[in-house]
Amino acid sequence: MKGLKYQLKNIRRDKMCILTFLLPIIAGIAIHLLSGVNLQTVSEASFGILKNDLSQEASLWLKANGNLTQYETPEELYAAINDPSTQIIGVLKTDNGIRTLLSGDELTLNKVIADTLPQAYTGRTEKSPYTRTIIPVSENADGLTSLLIVITLVTAMFMGATFNAMNIIGEKEDGVAFINRILPMTAKSYIIQKITLGFMGSAASALITSLICMQIKPSQLIPFLLLIILSAYISALTGLFIGHLSEGLMTGIVYIKILMILFLAPPILFYLTIPPQSPLFNLSYLLPSSATFYALMDLLNNQPDRLSLNLFILFVHAILWSVTYTLIKNKRPRSRPAATS
Amino acid sequence: MLKGFFHLLKKDFRLMVSGKFFLLALASLLLYSCYINFVYVNLDQDIYPVCLYDPQSKQPLISEYVTKVDTREALETACSDRYSIGFDLSGESPELYMLSSGSDVTDHYRSIWGETVLAGNTDGQARLIGTNNKEMKNRREITAEFLFFELSAVGFLGLASMLFKEKQMGVIRVHGILPVSKSMFILSKLFLLFISDLTFAALLTVLNVGLSHGLAVLPAVLVHAGILSLIMALIGFFCAVRLPNFKQFSLVYLALAVFVTTPVFIAGQIGVAWDWIVYHPMYHLFMAMKSAYFAAPSAGTIYYLISFGAIALLFLLAHRTLTIEITKEG
Repeated sequence: MKGLKYQLKNIRRDKMCILTFLLPIIAGIAIHLLSGVNLQTVSEASFGILKNDLSQEASLWLKANGNLTQYETPEELYAAINDPSTQIIGVLKTDNGIRTLLSGDELTLNKVIADTLPQAYTGRTEKSPYTRTIIPVSENADGLTSLLIVITLVTAMFMGATFNAMNIIGEKEDGVAFINRILPMTAKSYIIQKITLGFMGSAASALITSLICMQIKPSQLIPFLLLIILSAYISALTGLFIGHLSEGLMTGIVYIKILMILFLAPPILFYLTIPPQSPLFNLSYLLPSSATFYALMDLLNNQPDRLSLNLFILFVHAILWSVTYTLIKNKRPRSRPAATS
Repeated sequence: MLKGFFHLLKKDFRLMVSGKFFLLALASLLLYSCYINFVYVNLDQDIYPVCLYDPQSKQPLISEYVTKVDTREALETACSDRYSIGFDLSGESPELYMLSSGSDVTDHYRSIWGETVLAGNTDGQARLIGTNNKEMKNRREITAEFLFFELSAVGFLGLASMLFKEKQMGVIRVHGILPVSKSMFILSKLFLLFISDLTFAALLTVLNVGLSHGLAVLPAVLVHAGILSLIMALIGFFCAVRLPNFKQFSLVYLALAVFVTTPVFIAGQIGVAWDWIVYHPMYHLFMAMKSAYFAAPSAGTIYYLISFGAIALLFLLAHRTLTIEITKEG
């Protein structure tokens, strides 16, 4: 306990470490402020039209189906369609309806919309034979926002890794690591102290971030807390791994960079592109962050069926990595004196 | 004079090799290329799938977009992704069933799309006016982004790690009494980073945009990569000389990576329009790089004038800071 007090004192002077925890919170506040502003429109189809070209009725019809932007000249319209960062579909008047323009680099979704839009427009006057049942979704309906929230939360939970790694590498560089060796402190208590530090930081950061940008129902509270605890523990442990492996701050930063990409990019991609039944999807569980990511996504979307599976996978990861770390750590002192003497 | 410069170059080169600078650059190159070629190129979003539950086969015409299901439950499960559109033709009056996507506009279009598919009106063709297909666009876009990120964030770090090592060894102190000018000291580092950044840019471009397309855009890309490399290296030099230790430097680095480059990516990638983004200097550098990759006409003379002015100013600033630092060290 006393050791932990010194560890806490140690990080108080370390602005870098404190900042790592503040970053997700700042991002959470940013998302909270951003939510509702324009993010939803990104997922809607975008149409570009010319001034004084389409009839009033046609532009109203387009407006009901997507974002509508009006351009003064054909050149401006063509430039907007060809702009690689947009997915704008150009719509022009013909004798008996509309025709569409595309750049050719759009997603399949927008390509099909553009190809079929004139026919859909022609059919607009026919009375629909179908009764439309559109089920409204519960809160957090904005897909992009919930994705951003989950990304921020996963980052917050895995910030403990950055924190611990930075801390340990700093100690290595300042020579504290050598002093630690002659202090009457066992490797075990050192590990426990470090894991507790990273764990507390991650958990606090994730909790504050979730308070800012997520509404948790009472029934979800326990699984959510379990999720934070397991993820924060794994992340603190990962930090120990990086601290153990890297020699200097520079290599440490590179490891952290790779780790952050590895922990964030695959779950997002797998979640968005691959159906959960496929074997490839199961492969993504090799990364602990995937389980955290899917579980959070399910919590946000109120689909708790796979929650216990994800928690179990996190638990397995926690045990597995703890054992691996103990094995590595125990092996090192035997090989070290031989190498230096 | 020239001999002194040559020796400085040799020393800096060795420093970069021992700091594993080239190894890291190579690793990044491989990582980025693998991501682009195996993942990013294949990213796509399909049109809303249409699911049909039609036990009495009332619907004669089945288009390629329609998937048939056997029960009402299967229909509801298929639609639970808030993306698919379901049609239930089993009852008296046919029903369109779907979960809201969260946007009324998108929902409206989805229902229109579903009905268009069932009516069989899906054989139109939009006129194409662009020159890129989707894969080529993805390749150009992501390569521009990775190059920008690598040059602005990682290059900055590379120079600083080199300088901090020298600082620790006391090179700056020793430099005060050496017969080598301070400009040489800065220039040799700049030159090496410049060359390595250009090599990185060329390799990344050719590997990911393809040989023929890559070589076509390479001259323009190299110009902008060179400008960015010089600016970032000089800023890195300034920060590294000014800040006392690497830890404080990494704070600056983190702020730079998160708050300076992220808005640029969001604006450049999703096309979110923020009015203030034009006052963000990095945004113009990024857009210039991107238009170079798309072989689009880039910003005119003013852009180049400001860039070279900035480089000259930063060089003077770095020179001055180095002079002050050497005087301080005695």
